[in-house]
Amino acid sequence: MRKLALLAPLLLFGCGGSEAPPPETDTTTDDADAVTLEETRFVDLLPTYDSVPLPEGLEWVTNNEDEVFASPEAKRGGTFNTYMLGFPLTLRMVGPDSNGGFASYLRANNSVGLVAIHPNTLNFIPMLATHWAFADDGKTVYYRLRPEATWSDGLPITADDFMYTIDFMRSEHIVDPWYNNHYTNNIVAVRKHDDYTISVEGSTPKPREEILYEYGFGPTPRQFHKLDENWVVDYNWRAAPGPGPYRISHVEKGQYVTFERVDDWWGNDVKYLANRFNPDEVRITVIRDMNVAWEYFMRGELDTHPVVMPNFWHEKAVGEEFDNGYIQKIKFYTDTPQPSAGFWLNQNDPLLADHNIRLGLAHSMNIERLLTTLLRGDYERLKMHHEGYWDYTNPNIEPRPFDLDKADEYFAAAGFTTRGPDGIRVRDGQRLAFSVVYGTQEHTPRFVLLREEARKAGVELNLQLMDASAYFKQILEKQHQIASMAWSTSLTPRFWEHYHSDNAKVTQTNNITATNNPELDQLITEYEDATDKPTRVRLAHEIQQIIHDMSQFIPTWKVPYTREANWRWVRLPEWYGTRTTDVLFDFMSTANSTGLLWIDEDIKAETLAAREEGVAFDPVTITDETWRLE
Amino acid sequence: MRLRPQTVKQWRRFRSIRRGYWSLLIIGALLALTLVAELLVNSRAIVVRYDGSYYFPTYSAFMPGRQFGLDYDYETNYRELAAHFAEQREAAEASGTEAPGNWLILPPVPYNPFETDFRDDAFPPYPPSLSTQHYLGTDVAGRDILARLVYGFRLAMAFAVLLLLCNYVVGIAVGCAMGFWGGAFDLIFQRLIEIWSNVPFLYVIMIVASVIVPNFWTLIGIMVVFGWMAMTWYMRTSTYKEKAREYVDAARALGASSPRIVFRHILPNTISIIVTFIPFSVATGVTALTALDYLGFGLPPPTPSWGELLAQGTANLQSPWIVTSVVVAMTLVLLMVAYVGEAIREAFDPKQFTFYT
Repeated sequence: MRKLALLAPLLLFGCGGSEAPPPETDTTTDDADAVTLEETRFVDLLPTYDSVPLPEGLEWVTNNEDEVFASPEAKRGGTFNTYMLGFPLTLRMVGPDSNGGFASYLRANNSVGLVAIHPNTLNFIPMLATHWAFADDGKTVYYRLRPEATWSDGLPITADDFMYTIDFMRSEHIVDPWYNNHYTNNIVAVRKHDDYTISVEGSTPKPREEILYEYGFGPTPRQFHKLDENWVVDYNWRAAPGPGPYRISHVEKGQYVTFERVDDWWGNDVKYLANRFNPDEVRITVIRDMNVAWEYFMRGELDTHPVVMPNFWHEKAVGEEFDNGYIQKIKFYTDTPQPSAGFWLNQNDPLLADHNIRLGLAHSMNIERLLTTLLRGDYERLKMHHEGYWDYTNPNIEPRPFDLDKADEYFAAAGFTTRGPDGIRVRDGQRLAFSVVYGTQEHTPRFVLLREEARKAGVELNLQLMDASAYFKQILEKQHQIASMAWSTSLTPRFWEHYHSDNAKVTQTNNITATNNPELDQLITEYEDATDKPTRVRLAHEIQQIIHDMSQFIPTWKVPYTREANWRWVRLPEWYGTRTTDVLFDFMSTANSTGLLWIDEDIKAETLAAREEGVAFDPVTITDETWRLE
Repeated sequence: MRLRPQTVKQWRRFRSIRRGYWSLLIIGALLALTLVAELLVNSRAIVVRYDGSYYFPTYSAFMPGRQFGLDYDYETNYRELAAHFAEQREAAEASGTEAPGNWLILPPVPYNPFETDFRDDAFPPYPPSLSTQHYLGTDVAGRDILARLVYGFRLAMAFAVLLLLCNYVVGIAVGCAMGFWGGAFDLIFQRLIEIWSNVPFLYVIMIVASVIVPNFWTLIGIMVVFGWMAMTWYMRTSTYKEKAREYVDAARALGASSPRIVFRHILPNTISIIVTFIPFSVATGVTALTALDYLGFGLPPPTPSWGELLAQGTANLQSPWIVTSVVVAMTLVLLMVAYVGEAIREAFDPKQFTFYT
């Protein structure tokens, strides 16, 4: 598509001489490629909703007892510089191409939920809702909204904005089956009781904490959206107002995005939101290579950089800047659900549809060797999808080890008994070869090692490194054979989106293994419907066992800690992070991070001056094991 | 075969330029050696003597470990096999029995460009070492750099030569046709080429690479589509020039057809231009592939490639042997190619043989 766009002007130029017709002006639609920052477009046309009476006898609860986890010493101000590996394909949060890396920022900022989970105690704490109450039916929850909450454009956030979320998410115009489905089948109804009271009814009774988590959702700016068949294109580059602490302040396509702090944000004085999200400005620059980004970081142009990868921690994160204490290192253990990193086998592929081949593949991946050699024993073996979800994780599942005899047995059962002249197994002239797509150049050595080891089992893995955006697109459209990727985590296992057959048949869903198993469907439905935690835990264990038996996912590594490097002016609370922290130095609440950092301008000036004069501070390497699991 | 006196003169002239002549010899020798690289840089043994039989694994189908008395079905690790045979001999000596007479000869660099080699006491990249026979060290995945350099060189040269052939066939054909027919045909093609030359070909490659993973042939295809134009201008000019000469008129008067005039009379007289450009086109081809690989838009990993090594080297400056190896190799090869080109240009310089009035 872009190729055509490049050619078109040249062809026009080529036949210059003839008089060009005057450009057609189309006043009805804006240029679809132009970026539009936050704007309130339809304030006169706001959809409003009727309210229904609130039932009697509700028991309103809240929780302001748990300790705050942000530091009261945090200072507002400064600019936080970070980077992303690719430029987003859209500024929408839903619809095609909206599930890339940048979406995590948008979601974090725009989906300040009704309630949140305290990152240390795991209890619920108030956010947009101040109080909540449960109905006796086990599937309805009532929320009392925070009256002072506003959109970043200043309009109040009211019950109507939550009502609108349902209309919005159910609309076919957003072209997003996942959300369509979730807001139709999981959340059955949202009711407005008055401007600041709503109730959410889920499809099935569930334990209370699950209802709060799963039926809680964010408001949608009514004043911003106009849903029609052009919405996906029309809103591709429009930045929506949000309830969060930041707004997009500048977009330079392909280069960077800046966020600015909403100065009089409603959350500034809310107990669990105060002293968080401290930088006044955040600049996310596109740096398409992690090593180049590292050089920017070492020059001080980026404020922090993850050093989880062994070669970064052991070899790159050394030198003068570290010895002189300008840059600090921290290793922080956490107790949290683990991202599910590994190989996702697409069962739409005729070879991978064969159970024996999937099992054989699992036994052909020498992940043990990878962990002990290339990864220096720093990473640990992931056992399954949804590991570390506390009670929900099936403790009896062990990953399949590298075992050539077993691989041989399974491949032979699939008919791949002989090896071709290159040592790769063949069946009727078909080679046992697969393409493995991945999106991180830094992972190439790991896959090179696995590839060479897999050859021993007679399997060929052809590595396909792709640009991040193209890589996501290919996987979500289920065009891959084997995809290496890591799913982020949730509070409880999400089986429906990853394994239910409803999501196997359509593209742009998270069932990237195209799993279609009636027995599994049944259990997943039961799991989704179950009300009490013990049943759900039991079902979760059963489901995980079936998934493990099916072997459509080959788990690779987990990292039960975060390792990061920061210039010393980027500050953290004295407890550094929380039990469930993913990333310590994250300015927003992306994933399970909590936006605790702040920029100390005085220390920045001091550090830069010291660096200029060659004055050294004490080197700092912190290891925090507060939340380490044995 | 009798060479034309002019060719002999040109060859003498070329030989007299020592720098270019020696560069040609060295590059020729290197290319010849890379044709049998499997015998020199390879994890497979050149010859194995086992149980009274000889095996030559280099060019044959893979041989599982079991074939040589090891306990696995995958490709034999011949370095381990060598150690295994040595143990057998020692055991035989110790017990006083007769050794089984098994031996093997490994290539001088006993690694292939794909295998990852790990040590127990350290993590890759490993520095150069004689004892482990990683003469230039290993890259970050533990692969032998010399092996990757050698196979990368072979691939880059093959790529450059094929690219050159394709580019020249198209470029010369179009250029000759433009010069020979002239008129509207010439005018239209000139404009087309001007437009086509302005397509940012790197972008096109990037776009293509984000949609499909390019392989050797698709890369050549793309680069030919956007690279054939360079040669057309030179061929067009020289064809125009030659066409106006009397010998063409003479040929035409004798009734020669257009193709005959172009192929038998005009082309041989423009050969010096083509030959002069060859070395520079080779250098361009090698650089282009390296640049694409460096940027990650070239051949897919784990193809041995100089660009990929260069990317690794610049990403891991704390292991200087990676970047040093590839930069030195690249500089030397490009320098030699440039010397050859310089010498050819000198030897074919028409001023030495043509007298214009």
